[in-house]
Amino acid sequence: MSNVVVQDLSVRAGTKVLISGVSLDIEPGTWCTVIGPNGAGKTTLVETVAGIRRASSGTVSISGRRLEDMSERERARVVALVPQHPEVPAGMTVADYVSLGRTAYHGLLRAPSAHDRAVVDSVLERLSLREFADRDVITLSGGERQRMVLGRALAQSTMVIVLDEPITGLDLRHQIELLDLLKSEVAECGLTVVATLHDLTLAGQFADRLVLLDAGKVVLDAPASEVIRSDELAHSYGMDLRVVDVDGSDVVVPVRSLRH
Amino acid sequence: MSSNPPTARRVALVSALTLVGLVAAVVCGLAIGPTSIATAKIIGDVVSHVGIGHSSLSPLQSTVIWQLRAPRLVLGLLAGAMLAVAGGTYQGVFRNPLADPYLLGVAAGAGLGATFAIVDIGGGLNTPTWTPLLAFAGAMVAVAFTWGVGGRGLHSNAATLILAGVAVSALLTSMQTFLQQQSSSNSIARVYIWLLGSLASASWRSVWLVFPYVILCTAICVLSGRALDVMSVGEDESRSLGLPVRRVRFIVIAASSLGTAAIVSAVGLIGFVGIIVPHIVRLLVGTSYRRILPISVVFGAAFLVFADTLARTVMAPSELPLGVVTAAIGAPVFVIILSLRRRMVR
Repeated sequence: MSNVVVQDLSVRAGTKVLISGVSLDIEPGTWCTVIGPNGAGKTTLVETVAGIRRASSGTVSISGRRLEDMSERERARVVALVPQHPEVPAGMTVADYVSLGRTAYHGLLRAPSAHDRAVVDSVLERLSLREFADRDVITLSGGERQRMVLGRALAQSTMVIVLDEPITGLDLRHQIELLDLLKSEVAECGLTVVATLHDLTLAGQFADRLVLLDAGKVVLDAPASEVIRSDELAHSYGMDLRVVDVDGSDVVVPVRSLRH
Repeated sequence: MSSNPPTARRVALVSALTLVGLVAAVVCGLAIGPTSIATAKIIGDVVSHVGIGHSSLSPLQSTVIWQLRAPRLVLGLLAGAMLAVAGGTYQGVFRNPLADPYLLGVAAGAGLGATFAIVDIGGGLNTPTWTPLLAFAGAMVAVAFTWGVGGRGLHSNAATLILAGVAVSALLTSMQTFLQQQSSSNSIARVYIWLLGSLASASWRSVWLVFPYVILCTAICVLSGRALDVMSVGEDESRSLGLPVRRVRFIVIAASSLGTAAIVSAVGLIGFVGIIVPHIVRLLVGTSYRRILPISVVFGAAFLVFADTLARTVMAPSELPLGVVTAAIGAPVFVIILSLRRRMVR
């Protein structure tokens, strides 16, 4: 079980400040979702937590080790990323794509070991990708493709998984299916999840904790049910929001102001 | 491109056919030429060198085979293998199907070095020492300059490096053109002959000069196949998967460029092999660089020897420029395979 500690993190692009002074302490086994309006810095934050973007100042540590002190290979064994717009290389099979997740284990000169292959087989099985294993990745539907990208991340066998808008472009059923799948992996393997989501209802339903980000700063960091009912949330999005109880689940509904 | 990635059986078949092609190319390279020598006699002579049977070649025939055709054949094999694998490696590391081994300024730098050697040192002659030496130095300086401009720094990426290569190539080509403009028509003709590439001046000395570079650099390129497959998902994702992208990029670009520079210094600028061979192989065995690169080595070697055999026989006793022949054969072959592949996919 790994905890993620973000300390006074700032990221700049040229002179533009993307995020500033962000501090988080995410307990092992927690699902933490970062929400906020467009341009709030959500992607910047999770990409920095995943180690593919450099911090201008501050640190990100996982299980007490700072990401900047790790090699790429060490980092890939600690944290996996499901990017917002994954590259899907035409001509590669689904099994080979998922196997990319084992790169940090077998290295670049050796073929995957029996253990690597067993991990990939298990992921294909758990994510119901077995029937597509030999198919070209570009022939998959959007939902199947996202499952495959999640499979690659799970094949990294990390205790922390970072997802940037993993349900973008999926229909409602596939959105829920993917998040349910992830939830079961979290429960089974004790994964720590750091995700971004635009859908506030799903963010509230699946996360243990929500971090509201606005203009690169943390506005609120609290349990999900508390954040979705907060005034800060409505203020950050610049509109009225209502939380409706539907069969015991919170549903966030935007209210179109009469002023408009 | 394909809904079904190639099966292991197809890859094995293509590999076997490519090896057969290589053997055929070696036989053609040794057996075809102005002096008619029976293939059986050549084979008998070759095996006699490993202690089996006796050679029936005359001393003159033996000289033709071992001092003229064999070094030319071996240099052709080395050049074809290196250019093809370097092209495939560049296409992988830059994720750009138009990449070839000359992308980062090797051709422009070598061209400038060779032109300087021919025009200013050789007094209009292609000297066997200075031309390859300055071509090699020019190629390596050009790549180092490109890397210095576009490959370093926090935000460098493949696109920056390609743009730097375009800029450096343009600068060096303009300098080469200036040198040519200042020289005599005799020098210009020599420079053009060099620029079009040829194996005519091949000797065992030139073979041994490039041999270590080609073996080492080809090995590094082939071994980089797995890394290039990972890089097919982009730089950020590759890094998140544990690939040290910058280090890998530096190593494979250095190996491809060094090997290409060595070959170019010996045979001039042979175009088309580096871009067309990896594409043909990709159409046959799929997109994995673990398959493309080793098969390109063999395919490129065979392809260039066949092209050279044509170049020196079609208009014998004069020779066609090798670069013209590689393009004249490569383009139609590529189009035929492309159309066959499309038909198979449908």
